[in-house]
Amino acid sequence: MNRAKTSTLFKIVIVLYLFIIIFPFFWVAVTSLRPEAEIWGSGALQLKGAAFTTENYKLLFKTPVLNSLKNSLIISTITTIYVTFVASLCAYAIARLDFKFKKLLTVIVLVTSMFPQMIVIGPIYRVFVQLGWTNSYYISLPYSNITLPVAIFILITHFSQIPKEMEESATMDGSSKINTFFKIILPLAAPGIFTAAIIIFIGAWNEFLLSLTLNTNEAWRTATVNISFLRGQFEIFWGQVTAATVVVTIPTLIIVILFQKQIVSGITSGALKE
Amino acid sequence: MKLSKWADKNAGYILILPAVIIIVLFSIAPIIGTLRYAFFDMQLNNQAKNDMYFESNINVALNQETITYLNYYLDIDMDSVQNKDTIAKIDEIKKDLRELELFIAEKIASSDLRAIVQVGQAEQNALLERQQSIVNKLDELYSMDDEFYSPEDTMAVASEFETSIIESNFSGVDNFTKVLKDERVHSTLTFTLIFTVISVFAELIFGLALALIMNKPFKGRSLVRTFSLIPWAIPTSVAALIWSYLYNGSSGIVSHIFTTIGLINSPASMLNSAQNALGGIIIADVWKTTPYMALLLLGGLQVIPNSLYESSALEGARSWQQFRYITLPLLKPSIFVALLFRTLDAFRILDLIYVLTGGGPGGSTESISLYAYKVMFSQTRFGYGSAIVLIMALVVGIITFIYIKALNVDLLGEKR
Repeated sequence: MNRAKTSTLFKIVIVLYLFIIIFPFFWVAVTSLRPEAEIWGSGALQLKGAAFTTENYKLLFKTPVLNSLKNSLIISTITTIYVTFVASLCAYAIARLDFKFKKLLTVIVLVTSMFPQMIVIGPIYRVFVQLGWTNSYYISLPYSNITLPVAIFILITHFSQIPKEMEESATMDGSSKINTFFKIILPLAAPGIFTAAIIIFIGAWNEFLLSLTLNTNEAWRTATVNISFLRGQFEIFWGQVTAATVVVTIPTLIIVILFQKQIVSGITSGALKE
Repeated sequence: MKLSKWADKNAGYILILPAVIIIVLFSIAPIIGTLRYAFFDMQLNNQAKNDMYFESNINVALNQETITYLNYYLDIDMDSVQNKDTIAKIDEIKKDLRELELFIAEKIASSDLRAIVQVGQAEQNALLERQQSIVNKLDELYSMDDEFYSPEDTMAVASEFETSIIESNFSGVDNFTKVLKDERVHSTLTFTLIFTVISVFAELIFGLALALIMNKPFKGRSLVRTFSLIPWAIPTSVAALIWSYLYNGSSGIVSHIFTTIGLINSPASMLNSAQNALGGIIIADVWKTTPYMALLLLGGLQVIPNSLYESSALEGARSWQQFRYITLPLLKPSIFVALLFRTLDAFRILDLIYVLTGGGPGGSTESISLYAYKVMFSQTRFGYGSAIVLIMALVVGIITFIYIKALNVDLLGEKR
């Protein structure tokens, strides 16, 4: 095969790939700007002479979609803050300190991330009902389930990369291990911790099952669950559904564009920890 | 001073403590809970079965409430009845009710004020006998010819007696034997495995190809990488909604294109036929996770030293030989991790199907997670649902074992 041919094929594949990724978003965004009447039947497939309107968005904002975005934002932020903190402490201990049961702990963290999420949902639901914690921000606590293991693995990778000399010289100066961690290691590991925080936030933002079962009241639903109810109704208004899709996708888009480097590093260091 | 020395010595334990507490509370304890539920016939919407009871129990509070209400209704009846016989009968029942209260106070609840109290078989039988005799006498009373307030309401209240006696709902391995015989478990498990195998295989092939492409330097590579993140980063329910629009029978562009090129009969059949719906779910899943797979494998490719390719090129190796003898072996650990985690992820699929097809048409695209979810939260059969979930966990264990054996990789990477 000659070089020119290969590079043309190469270009075609890349363009096709980008097209496949982008087209669904593009098509949904276009639909969301068209009047509901035009989205029925094959008229929806033609863009020529299409009328554009913001009516779908105006109607959408009368539904609880903004409230659900607020719920998602608060719950994801709480989760991100405490899980990042807890995971940092634990990952540093695993990466650098000696203690019994270290291997056991690593195995437990790994195994809990492998089980189907359904395995914890029943007892958590019952306890939440008994404590009166359903329909509240307490839901952030079981969100640790999906975010803590991956955060710990990302952070173990990052802490292992910090040169050991940093701690050794601090210990020589008489600093205690915990002091060394907070004063010297944490600032050095800040980029890695930030990476973990982004991955935790995306995980919490996208969570579905816990939110579906624990926060059933419409006022407490998160965005992911709330928009799924648009589809469940007997009559589907695609204009509003697509508008909702766009609105819920925008925060993710912003995060991806701003923090793509951290996300890529998080994906690879979380999974390929060795 | 002593304290700080102690803290320094135990720094490891102190730092892991918060994580351990959270893991115990929100992962380990619930897993143990699910394990226990599976051995009971537990149903949340049934007052006598909404907890786990090894022994027989009496719901004393409910029993007392029933007595109070019966007294209340009988008092009203007393005001309206005319006949001597009826009055005597009412008096007799009221006396029985008092005796029942006394019996409970003496033999069962003594000084105990808890709602649910454990009892022995003898006491339970005695209580049952007394309750039954009261119900029978009420029946006799209302068949008498007289003016009563509301016999139906009174009898309805009396039927609560039955609910106040709680039999043990320990069911041993019953739930598991039922799960193994449940047709719907077979069909949902089969569906889930078919979905998992096809979509993970497709994701691996496409993902590997994309990773190889993105590993080469070209203009706009970082742009391609950014776009790759988007499908992975958006919530699954959003992706499912996007595809449900693209697939819909009236205005869905993908269902129309598939009809035009002859893949499906009509746009409406995209999600209305079992086979097409399976295909639709797989396409949506492959679209969402292939870029993620590509990034994972790209991470593995980038640590392979370039010198290996250079020296092999000097020896005249062709590019597919390089791929076969350098790339593939060195990429094996990355492929293993990507495959394992994608397989487990695909196996527990719930939200994509919940939103895209709801398990339809006719339950043909119901995943086992979705079935377990419906059993637990629509039918509130927590015991049975837990047994299904445990069978799922067993399959997860088997999948992991097969991967570790087949690819001969150490999961914790210790034997490197």
